[in-house]
Amino acid sequence: MLTKLAGGRIYDPANGRDGAVGDLFVRDGRIVADPGPSSAPDEVHDLTGRVVMAGAIDIHSHIAGGKVNIARLLMAEEHRAAAEGPCGCVGLATPSTHATGCRYAQMGYTAAFEPAMLPSNARHAHLEMADIPLIDTGGYLVLGNDDLLLELLASGAGEEAVADYVGFMLNATRSLAVKAVNPGGINAFKYNQRRLDVDENGPFHAITPRRILTALAGAVQRLGIPHPLHLHGFNLGVPGNVEATLDSIAAVDGLRLHLTHVQFHAYGMEGDRKFSSAAARVAEAVNRRPNISVDVGQIMFGQTVTASADTMAQMNNAGLAHPKKWVMMDIECDAGCGVVPFRYRDKAFVNALQWAIGLELFLLIEDPWRIFLTTDHPNGAPFTSYPELIRLLMDRDHRLARMAELHPALPEHTILGSLTREYSLGEIATMTRAAPARILGLTDRGHLGPRAVADITVYTDRPDRRAMFEKPDLVFKDGRLIVCDGVVVAVLQGRTHVVEPAYDPKIESWMARRFDERMGQRLTHFRIAEEEIRGGTGLIRHACQPGVF
Amino acid sequence: MASERPTPPVARPVVHRDVVCPFCGLGCDDLTVEEEPPSTLAVRSTDCPVARDRFSRTPSAEPPRVAGVAVPLAEAVEAAAAVLAAAQAPLVAGLGTDVDGARAALSLAERLGAVVDHALSDGLYRNLAVLQRTGWIATTLAELRNRCDLLLVAGPDPAALHPRLFERWVAPTPAFQTPPSREVAFLCGEPLDATRTALSRIPVTVLPGDPAKIGDAAAALAAALAEPSRVSGAAGIAAGDIAVLAERLRKARYAVVAWAAAAFASPHADLTVERLVGLVRDANRHTRCAGLPLAGYDNVVGVNQVCTWRFGVPLRTSLAGGVPLHDPHRFAWMRYADVADTVVWVSAFRPEVPTFSAGQTVVALAPPGTVFTDEPAVFIPIGTPGIDHPAQVFRSDTVVALRARGLIDRGLPDGATVLKAIATALPQEAPAC
Repeated sequence: MLTKLAGGRIYDPANGRDGAVGDLFVRDGRIVADPGPSSAPDEVHDLTGRVVMAGAIDIHSHIAGGKVNIARLLMAEEHRAAAEGPCGCVGLATPSTHATGCRYAQMGYTAAFEPAMLPSNARHAHLEMADIPLIDTGGYLVLGNDDLLLELLASGAGEEAVADYVGFMLNATRSLAVKAVNPGGINAFKYNQRRLDVDENGPFHAITPRRILTALAGAVQRLGIPHPLHLHGFNLGVPGNVEATLDSIAAVDGLRLHLTHVQFHAYGMEGDRKFSSAAARVAEAVNRRPNISVDVGQIMFGQTVTASADTMAQMNNAGLAHPKKWVMMDIECDAGCGVVPFRYRDKAFVNALQWAIGLELFLLIEDPWRIFLTTDHPNGAPFTSYPELIRLLMDRDHRLARMAELHPALPEHTILGSLTREYSLGEIATMTRAAPARILGLTDRGHLGPRAVADITVYTDRPDRRAMFEKPDLVFKDGRLIVCDGVVVAVLQGRTHVVEPAYDPKIESWMARRFDERMGQRLTHFRIAEEEIRGGTGLIRHACQPGVF
Repeated sequence: MASERPTPPVARPVVHRDVVCPFCGLGCDDLTVEEEPPSTLAVRSTDCPVARDRFSRTPSAEPPRVAGVAVPLAEAVEAAAAVLAAAQAPLVAGLGTDVDGARAALSLAERLGAVVDHALSDGLYRNLAVLQRTGWIATTLAELRNRCDLLLVAGPDPAALHPRLFERWVAPTPAFQTPPSREVAFLCGEPLDATRTALSRIPVTVLPGDPAKIGDAAAALAAALAEPSRVSGAAGIAAGDIAVLAERLRKARYAVVAWAAAAFASPHADLTVERLVGLVRDANRHTRCAGLPLAGYDNVVGVNQVCTWRFGVPLRTSLAGGVPLHDPHRFAWMRYADVADTVVWVSAFRPEVPTFSAGQTVVALAPPGTVFTDEPAVFIPIGTPGIDHPAQVFRSDTVVALRARGLIDRGLPDGATVLKAIATALPQEAPAC
């Protein structure tokens, strides 16, 4: 079947198209070149005057796995409050799998990635992701506090052995990338340490966070994994943590590094309140170093729930829980999880400044290929707030009007009012489509060139950018229409994106012994079989290229 | 000549190694199970009574029945769909099934607008009630095994329900503590003989207080921990013993407080759990301490996980009216069974099913050989996860899911296949967003 999308204004940054009018052709779920006047399309959509982009991709959204389910359990009252949607989809900060798929698709997204999949919880995360309809998914494997890796490092193992370990773990858990969360810190918390400096040895394994960070960044490069090490940095939420953020950038010494939810890591200690924006310093460092990318983790105001593997940080925040209940877990000698409900208040100075810091980062970091639109769902805000966030980036007047409603001391503590930049549609397309696909190694996603998967979103060009991005006219997944005027019209199943880096299998006998002795689990049962991923039909493998990535 | 060659002998018994046990929630995955063809199984590698009993239950397949009459599977599926299409107040419960079975059962329940619950969620809910009210600090089995230096067991010995708990997760030397050390204290409960044997090389303290007052003992411990001068006796345990244990807890490097809430006998047992959770939280003001709520028979933990991600809310939820309505009191299956007119009872792990009221229409999916007090409207024999078909099940600690493989072929369908077939046979509706 041949489908023609005729006459839309195409924003396809990966292929150099920035709003020029043109046609797209789709056959068998993929975009094809113009087949010429002799071929008659089976279906034509007249998109005259409409805006056409690839399906959007969220690189960092906590959509599945143990901590997400704990958040749902903890926030059951939210579901009662939010159960008035048009179709029974419930939950804002903690949507069900069904609601997650529907809400993303209704906003024009066709893929979202779970950025904190613990090794021991990977099977659960995959089972859950398989129940998210309409969008593609995948998981980033959390390493860096796992006792086996720390033990390996402490034994003086070389880069090759570390890369073999990481390579095995990525294959076994069917992951797309490597994530490090407060490397060393979660492990130290299990020994009752409530903080750990970057150059301080951990309490048991005698390894510094800096060593863990550089070892993992190096392993990612050695294995040729497309996505750089995805780092949840040190001292999350702590005033003055910008120093650790800049230090992390320096520590990897030119290796590629992705700093996630960098808003929570861009805090200074200036002023009366000893809490200030350090966005300009972070932005300057990012602008100068092409090896660094970031996503923002923008906060938006209202009730949400924070869910993180970083027990060290979450335990420190537990006193701020709203409502006053929270969960911490130490998990399987590989990580932990902390779930703390939180309400960001626009009249609170700290929350208002956090909001401004996120926007400063968006506006000061120049290259839209290296900064990504996230709220760290649900930590900064539910992902459903993206349309409002896009409006804040594209519409300075709206930004200033919103700022005027916040805490009165805010203007003296932020340069936001002086920033005149407004994102263009092309830059939004870069940040939400082309760049995420490129940084994850999804070569046939995020663009609209021939052979790309036909994940396509069509918008009416409205001056109110929130209204525009909240409700696309048409969304296609794999060439099939799934959303029409905001209504889900077909419920398809997505796929699971993974990498399978090569590694020396001799590491497996070392690991098998340790699994038997320590984890009380056979290594063979830890490994997730291909047929377990979406019934055996779900995997999409992406190439690893040692020496390239 | 080839025809004169002897037939190669069939290896008897067939030996299955590294078998995952899906029954009690401990997730033991080291079993050796011998199969005497065609379908008799015997566990050889452990004396665990749960594993030995459950793996040995493999009667031959039998045909489905409609109103007591044997029929082909397709006919039973049609009959089930027919009675379910007429249901006014359906209950989809039991839910003793693997992840795929849970998905299919919950999808069917959604189509029917049914109330959903697991047969064994009572113990689970004593824990979840507290998690939903206050949250908690918890840990997992490998953390217990490798990091815990003081294990405080609250209430009756959990080994009665989870027999290999001490052998696999407490007896081994902690790998990630220096120097490795461990001791175990039993509070308001006494270790079983098998537990004493498993812990023979580990110091054990027993404070055999009143098992109905575990919460009081936990509160007294918390008070003594906060302020030694406030020490008092509780639950029949002397103040001096409480003081010693509180001091030991204060000095522990990584304490774990474990309990099996299903074994708590006191009314409002969730309040007992709340006290234990409070004790753990208070202990973290001084040291590291984490709770280990044990539950998980028949994959109740996994089914609750699936329900939570599917609907945003856990079990004990009504799907009537299009929006999931979670109410752990109203929608506990035993309570709702009083008003349900139709029951779908799924029990893939065990042949015991409850007795339902006369006049209720029952569709039962259970192993062959299941004995019913009253013949259900439809009975469809199904395979057991991890015996007849591969299956994913969750461990008690909620984090680890394991995949058990199929061992034998009795010609039984798996629950998920049957449930999906019933849903397909229902009158079709437009897909909802």
